[in-house]
Formats: sequence, C-alpha cells, structure tokens
Amino acid sequence: MPPTETIQRPSNVSDALARGRLGVPSVIFFVLSAAAPLTVVAGVVTTGYAVTGVTGMPLAFLVVGAVLALFSVGYVAMARRVENAGAFYAYVSRGLGRPAGVGAAWVALLAYNALQIGLYGAIGAAASPVLHRLFGADPAWWVVALAAWALVAVLGLLRVDVNGRVLAVLLVAELVVILVFDLGQLGNPAGGSVSFTALTADSLLVPGAGALLVLAATGFVGFESAVVFSEESRDPKRTVPLATYLSVAIIAGLYALSSWTLTVATGPDQIATQAGEQSVELIFNLAAAQLGETAVTVGQALFMTSVLAAMISFHNTTARYAFALGRERVLPAAFGKTSPRTGSPRTGSLAQSLLGLLVILLYTVNGWDPVLQLFYYAGAGGGFGVLLLIATTSIAVMAYFARTRVEESLWRRAVAPGLAAVALVAIITVAVDNFAILLGVSPDSALRWAVPAAYPVAALIGVLWALVLRGSRPDVYARIGLGAESAALLAAPGPAGEPAPARAEARR
Amino acid sequence: MLTADEFYLVAHNDSRGRAKLHSSAVGIGLAAGLLGELVLFGQITVSAGNVTVVDRRPPADALAHTVLDQLVGESQHQSVRTWLSFLGQTAATSVAERLARAGVLRRQESRRLLRTTVGYVPIDLNAVAWPATRLRALLDRPEPPAVPDALLFGLVSAAGLTREVLWSAGPRAHHRLGVLIPALPPPLKELVAHAEAAVGAAVLRGKP
Repeated sequence: MPPTETIQRPSNVSDALARGRLGVPSVIFFVLSAAAPLTVVAGVVTTGYAVTGVTGMPLAFLVVGAVLALFSVGYVAMARRVENAGAFYAYVSRGLGRPAGVGAAWVALLAYNALQIGLYGAIGAAASPVLHRLFGADPAWWVVALAAWALVAVLGLLRVDVNGRVLAVLLVAELVVILVFDLGQLGNPAGGSVSFTALTADSLLVPGAGALLVLAATGFVGFESAVVFSEESRDPKRTVPLATYLSVAIIAGLYALSSWTLTVATGPDQIATQAGEQSVELIFNLAAAQLGETAVTVGQALFMTSVLAAMISFHNTTARYAFALGRERVLPAAFGKTSPRTGSPRTGSLAQSLLGLLVILLYTVNGWDPVLQLFYYAGAGGGFGVLLLIATTSIAVMAYFARTRVEESLWRRAVAPGLAAVALVAIITVAVDNFAILLGVSPDSALRWAVPAAYPVAALIGVLWALVLRGSRPDVYARIGLGAESAALLAAPGPAGEPAPARAEARR
Repeated sequence: MLTADEFYLVAHNDSRGRAKLHSSAVGIGLAAGLLGELVLFGQITVSAGNVTVVDRRPPADALAHTVLDQLVGESQHQSVRTWLSFLGQTAATSVAERLARAGVLRRQESRRLLRTTVGYVPIDLNAVAWPATRLRALLDRPEPPAVPDALLFGLVSAAGLTREVLWSAGPRAHHRLGVLIPALPPPLKELVAHAEAAVGAAVLRGKP
C-alpha cells in the first residue's frame, strides 16, 4: 500500500455517518413547510388587515425579517455550542442562568400551545369551501375542528411526521398558488393603477405599527427550527446558518409581496373593510374574479392542507418541548417517556391534544367566533410570546459569548445580537402599547392586558420553580436546559454536581 | 448469551420477530450493547464521553472482534455518541445475524410489492421470550443481579422499554431498577447514560 494512502485513509465511520446528511435545500424545505405559507397569507394577513386597519403590513414583514436575520447571526453561532439547540430556553439557560431558562421554557410552552390551538379555529373556515364542493355539506366549524383534532392527536401518537416528500410537494404547490394569486392581484389593480402606498414608511409609522410587527413575527415562527439539524447537516458551520438566513429572506419576501399585492387589488383604503367583510375568503374571492374557479378550488384545497400541516407540525414541536423538559425532570418524568413502538413523545402529545380539545369545547359551548377569537387571538398572542422569547434569546447570546470567551468575531458575538436585541425590545414596547389595536378591542378591555401579561406570569412561575429546584433537587437543577442530553450528565457530573460544559464543548 | 443478543430478543419479543421498539432506539440500544460487551470483556473503557481501547487482543466472539477492529482502526473517532450512531446503523442486522449463527433466529426473505425484505424470525418461541422473563424474575430475587444483567437493565431503561419488560412487576421491582442503574460500574453507567441521551436526541429530531 502506498504510504500516502495510510496518511489520508478514508474513514468508514465518517462516510457512513455522512450518508443521508441534509443539504441547504432540505433544511429550508423543512423550515418553510412548518411555516405553512398559505395559512399565513390567507389567514393571518387578511385577518390582520381587518382587525388592525393598518396598511403597513408589507413593510412590517420586511422590518421583522431584517431584525430576525440580525438575530440569526448570533443565534446560529451559539447553536453549534448548545445542547438541545432547537429550543430557545436552552440558550437562555446557558446565557442568563437556569432560573431564566425555566421561565423561558414556560413562556415557550404557552406560546407554542397557543399557536397550535389557534389553528383549530382556522380549519373550519379553511375546510368548509372544500367540503361544500366535495360533498355539498356545510358542517359547523367545531365538527371540522374536532375531526382535525382527532387526526392530529392520532398522528402525533403514531409519530407520523407527515412524509417529507408530501410536505415538499404541498409546499411547492402553496408557493406557486401564492405567486399566481399575487400576479393576478397585480394584474387587476383597484382603480386601474398599482398603488405603492402600503410599502411607504408612512403606512407603518402610525398607531398600530406594533400590532403589525407582532403579526409579522407570527408569520416567521418556525425559522428557528433549522438549528435542530446541526448534527445531521453536511456542514454544520455552513448549512444551518445559510438555511436559516435563506428561510428568513424567503419568508420576508413572500409575505411582503403577498400582503402588498392584496392592497393593490382592493386599493389601500379598502383593504381593511374588505378583509373585515370577507375574512379568510378575501384572497380566494379576489382570485375568483381574476383567475377563475379552478385556481380558487386549488387554492382552497391547499389552504386546508396548509392549516393541517401547520397543526401537525406545531403539535409535534410542542410535544417535543414537553419531552425535553420531561427528560430534564423540570416537568414530571412521565413527559420524558416515549411510546416504545413509535418513539413518539407520548405524554407530551396527549397533554397537548387534551388542551386542544378543551379549548375547542370551550369555544363551542360559549359560541365564540373561531376565526377571530380563536385563530387570530391565539395566533397574535402566540406570536407575541415567540417575540418575547427571541428578544430574551438575543440577550442570552450576548451574555453567553461574553462569559465563555469562545473564539467568535465581534460582529457575531456582540454587535449583531445587540442590534437585534435593541430592535426587538423596541418592537415589544410598541406592541404592548398597541395591544388593544392588535386584538381589535377597546383600549380599556381586560383582554388588552390579560394576553400580554400571561407571559410575564408564566416566566415568573418558571423562575420560582427553578429556584425551588435549586434548593430541593440540585441534581435536577444542574440538568436544566440540556434537554435529552441531560441523561449524559447523570453519568459524569463535574465537581460538585455541576455540568462540565468544557467537555460538552469539546465534543461539538 | 451476550448483552446485545439479549437486548435484541427483548426488543423483538414477538412470534414473527418484529420490533417492539422504534428503529432508532433499537439501533442505539444494540450499539450500546455491543460496546458494553467489549467493556465487560475488559477490552475497551468509556470515560468522559470517549471510548478508549485498552486491550487489542481479539475477543472470542466474531462480531465483538469486528467491532473492536473498527474501534482500533478508526482511533480518530473516540466519541461514544459517534460510535453509537455509527454502530447503530448496522447493529440490528449484525446482531440478528449473530443470533442466526447461534441458531436462535432464522433469516427469512419475503417479497412484497416487488421489494425483497429480509427479516429474522424466531426458531423457538420460548428461547426468544426467555431474556425478558429472566429479567423480570431477577428483580424479584433478594440478591443484586450480576453486572451484565444490570447493564441489560440499563439499556432496556435507556431505550424506553421498561414498561414493556416490567408490565407485571410491582412498585418494588421498579424501585429496585431505579437503584440498580446508578450502581453500575462507571464506564457502563456512562455508556447507558449516553445511550439514553442518544435515544432522546433521536426523538427530538423528530424524523423516524
């Protein structure tokens, strides 16, 4: 054997583990399919126009996209060094301490549950045109919601993450439909000329801007999940950051375009009225006039599958969050158990389904409006929670890099996350101020404070719980933030039961 | 019977040899079983997240020999988690082949929809059900189980099969299991912990 070959011997281990690793497109597909673009364009954007009455939505998407791109710089840099990288609270635990981490975990549970359950409010509206066309039936929204709930509950237990290829096909179809609808709207502008009003700064710099920024942030939820694939990507240093930036850019561009063309088709002064009258049907009614019935049928069918896919995806995210917390024993250990045959996080999945069922029944019994009061309120509330998490995480990233002194450029460890933190705190401040506009209630309504106040309360309970754990169960306290990796800590605790982050870092 | 063999039978305790456990946990559990065998033979050790070869003399078992050769040949890879992932990809087949050589399982090819799938079916149902039965009985005895059995308990628990194995056992058995695993020798305890973490990470990644 020539000597060079023994020096550069190919490694069977590396080759075997590299097989099936994900490239940038696969990761982007995963992120975007969880983001369910048509749900956002047909659901969130139209309801948002109707409730807030502000036309600056396209700009809001671009602003939030830019802020999240800045945030991602530090986020992906830290992701390579953190166990349990998919969860914001892991970053907060490492950067700002374990009590803050548990607080963030509680906020995350609340926010993701709200986002998932809110979708049950949209499925009735999304499915009724399809069901009417197929069967001529018009079931009540809660019948459809319960059917969707049962489907999600069963799939969650069977751990059927909808097949990646199916999701990819649906996603591409959704993107095509959105772009075709956009072109149709651009080709038929209200009053005969294309209006750029919605893209000007004046349209966003009005009371209510904070509301739009929260809604825009809701549309981006899911962009954070690319980091889950750090270990499975071809080149963690390149694949995951690139996929994250591209996802943010695609989401920002697509939603900004779609929300702008909507104002072009109705006229910027008419968008709030028309969206208020037609709700989620607006985009399809416009398409019916411009593109014909076939396009509408396809669009409505895809809207339904999009909402379903988003439900399943958020259900699994929430169940996994509970699983990670159960493994750490921050939630009861039962949440850390899986169903042996399928490997689904059984308890977390059941708990999430139970919560969903209770909310559906609550809305049915009280006769509350599913689209406005469930889908929109829970979506806006959940988006606000995720915004709080992102802001806290950006501060945690700076704190982590300041403390650990790992090699990283100044831009990545301080400047970018710092700018993102300032922008996010500003957005949150305006949003809290505008919360009545966001929810479309009167400024003295109890909801106006109840929704944003739920998060600080959850965070406070989390912090207190962490402090209780520190006193009573130091072994559990040491595991906070490690997720599934906390099991490995049990075997090799460092001095005084503290984890050995140096070792963990050497491993990555 | 060797640890990985027994784990295989516990995880496939079914008249048609089908798995009771999702495939990533089967792979990780068996990979940990194979590494555990080498630890028990005194040929490797596990500490601080790394596998170190301490004795290169070939072990008697052919599969253990192969695994040891791989560990020796690729000494640039030391992380337990890397080896669990790598061995986990092929462990289900290699351990099933070993059980087939020992006359416990029979290789069976079946054609379905133009695709040939290879399965391993039990030859004697009692022999296949024995390891799980034996584990249950062990927890009822007053004396603590031997180290290889304790390792097997650890792997069963790490893979999430405890409830399936101890379905009929009372709270006392569960309590005994709870103290058994922390009392394992440090290299095996760490191996079990890494297996549990790897199974959890596979669940969190979400893709089956």
